Amino acid sequence: MRNRFDEQLERLNVELIRMGALCEDVISQAAKALETPTDEFRQIVYDTDHEIDRKEREIESLCMRLLLQQQPVASDLRLISSALKMISDMERIGDQAADIAEMTAYLKDNGMDSQLHIAEMARATIQMVTGSVDSFVRRDLELARKVQADDDVVDALFNRVKKELVERIASDRSSGEDCIDLMMIAKYFERIGDHAVNIAEWVEFAATGQHS
Amino acid sequence: MKKKIIWSMSMIALVSIVFSMVLSGVVSYYDSLEIIKNSTMAESQYIQSGIEKNDDYLDSIRSVGYGTSTQSVRVTLIEADGTVSFDSVADAAEMENHADRPEVIDAHATGTGESIRESETVNMQSYNYAVLMADGRVLRLSVGMKTVFGSIERMVPWMVLCSIVVLLFAVVLSTYRTKQIVKPINNIDLDHPMENDVYDELAPLFLRIERQNETIQEKMEELNRKQNEFTAITENMQEGFIVVDSKGDVLSYNTSAVRLLGIDRGAGQRHASVLTFNRSHDFRDAVDLALSGTATERVTRIGAHSYNLIANPVLGEAGVRGAVIVLLDVTEKEESERMRREFTANVSHELKTPLTSISGYAEIIRNGLVRSEDIPRFAGNIYTETQRLITLVEDIIKLSQLDERAVELERTRVDLQGIARDVAERLRATAEKNRIRLQVTGEAAEVTGVPRILDEMIFNLVDNAVKYNRTGGKVDITTGVRDGHAFVEVADDGIGIPEQDREHVFERFYRVDKSRSKQIGGTGLGLSIVKHGAAFHNVHVALQSREGVGTTVRITF
Repeated sequence: MRNRFDEQLERLNVELIRMGALCEDVISQAAKALETPTDEFRQIVYDTDHEIDRKEREIESLCMRLLLQQQPVASDLRLISSALKMISDMERIGDQAADIAEMTAYLKDNGMDSQLHIAEMARATIQMVTGSVDSFVRRDLELARKVQADDDVVDALFNRVKKELVERIASDRSSGEDCIDLMMIAKYFERIGDHAVNIAEWVEFAATGQHS
Repeated sequence: MKKKIIWSMSMIALVSIVFSMVLSGVVSYYDSLEIIKNSTMAESQYIQSGIEKNDDYLDSIRSVGYGTSTQSVRVTLIEADGTVSFDSVADAAEMENHADRPEVIDAHATGTGESIRESETVNMQSYNYAVLMADGRVLRLSVGMKTVFGSIERMVPWMVLCSIVVLLFAVVLSTYRTKQIVKPINNIDLDHPMENDVYDELAPLFLRIERQNETIQEKMEELNRKQNEFTAITENMQEGFIVVDSKGDVLSYNTSAVRLLGIDRGAGQRHASVLTFNRSHDFRDAVDLALSGTATERVTRIGAHSYNLIANPVLGEAGVRGAVIVLLDVTEKEESERMRREFTANVSHELKTPLTSISGYAEIIRNGLVRSEDIPRFAGNIYTETQRLITLVEDIIKLSQLDERAVELERTRVDLQGIARDVAERLRATAEKNRIRLQVTGEAAEVTGVPRILDEMIFNLVDNAVKYNRTGGKVDITTGVRDGHAFVEVADDGIGIPEQDREHVFERFYRVDKSRSKQIGGTGLGLSIVKHGAAFHNVHVALQSREGVGTTVRITF
């Protein structure tokens, strides 16, 4: 009985790693679509997003089965409950990456334009998501706390992009629509960073029982 | 086991007590029956003769009280018609006709008769013996006695007492014995079975254990040896090597895998999912495919390196039992591949440029668009371009020779100063055209090398120094020996090399100022030849340069 429980817990662990890896994939793909806005790259993002949604349902039912059939306690219970929270954050990351990809269809200007700091934002958020998944894989509290601190970097970049876009609209009125789209993309990246922070917080909760 | 032994011992004791008690009850019953029969028979004779001699005899019998106590003889006299004429216990007149009693019938027939009848009292019976007297009457004696069950029943208290004693004894003894049997077994030293001091019956077992211990020991050693061999092989592999089971959990991995995947030891562990090693899309995909039975090979980037990722399924009878993942660092290979591609593209381009000019001039001449007095100028242009082509092809041949080291070149002792002077002579005309002062200083420096290649190297350095110079500049060639190492140094006060280009100038076809390459000439292969020549001679090339101040290249042997 216990053996089966351990097996299921291990499966939960592996599935969470997989879902985390898919999240890393989907943001890189969204960044790629932003760099080269073609239907092909966008489609890759949508496909990964669908896969993430499937994974979420799969992990959710696995968690439910574990909760109902095994009645876990203590750290096992914490792992499962934080898994349930983590997957909804991961699912949101997938959705926001898909949103970014969708926005790229309406951009006249290249989003990865070197004059804007969106590329840096993309890099920073990818790093944060990788960090949060890594902290889960290694149960590394230090890394989890670093990810939580890194959010300030993304937030600062977001404010910078905002200023840059304001200046751009001021200097060139015709670019207004594009700028608003870019603003939304920057916001999505900023939100993805927030979700990465949430994931890191749940990792911390699963390990210590303290939710910051 | 101990309980079972005690239990069966007790059962044996109990059964044997019951059995022997029952048997002795039965035997004693038949014994007493026999005694009763004999005595009854004898008594019947006395009474018979008493009756025949004396008529009062019967009355005296009654008065004595025959048959009133439980086990005494009851005397009954039965007339020939069956009516009872006398009974020592009851009133004869009230008794029923006895003609149908079996013993009476037998007595009428054979003279004597007997029967056993259940008594009204529990576990009692009566033995009846009848004798036919001479006058036709029948004398019957009846004795009360215990039945078989009655005689056994008598033994029950004894049986119970006996059982308790025997059972106690059986339990105590069997407990003691089982302890004696079990204790040495529990205390066996299985590692050294033959050193145990126990009863003989266990000796064969110990012998067997000893042999098996030896076998196990041998097998363990063999396994260890194999494991060590395997570890030695995998640990010394440059390639990363990971073995996973059918669920994707890591069974084994080597240090190269840890190094290549850039994980700290704490993260990737045996029996953890292989995804804790790496979870990139390609890696996941390769593992999943391998575990579903498809071998894959692909090039993937992890961090800053390129890896050839080979994932093979391990097939067993019941399908896929796991997978072997091999990682090869192909970053350098990819890099050289890229350089080769670039080289090919560059060569084609460099070859095409003069050919296009040649073809253009030739076409104009063929179409008669050139006046005859202009033809020498055009021919001159064609000649220059072909010369450039020839130089280029020669340079490429030199490079490829150095690359392949196909030609066995003879090494001899040569003087660097001699070569330097020779080179300076050849380039003096070009230098003077640009009013560049070219001088060779220093002392003789003998080295072992291939004169032709050394000549190429120094020629290219001096050629560059002259080419990338200013009008009125100077080029100093110094040879000599310093700290036991021969060296040749070419210094100019020319245009210098910008900092960002310095690390690239030894690459093939790399030009600092691409726009001026045609004007200056050269193939872009000069420093590449120097680099390969240096590698061939295993010597060190140092380049110092400041933009606008000059460049110094020193070759130290």
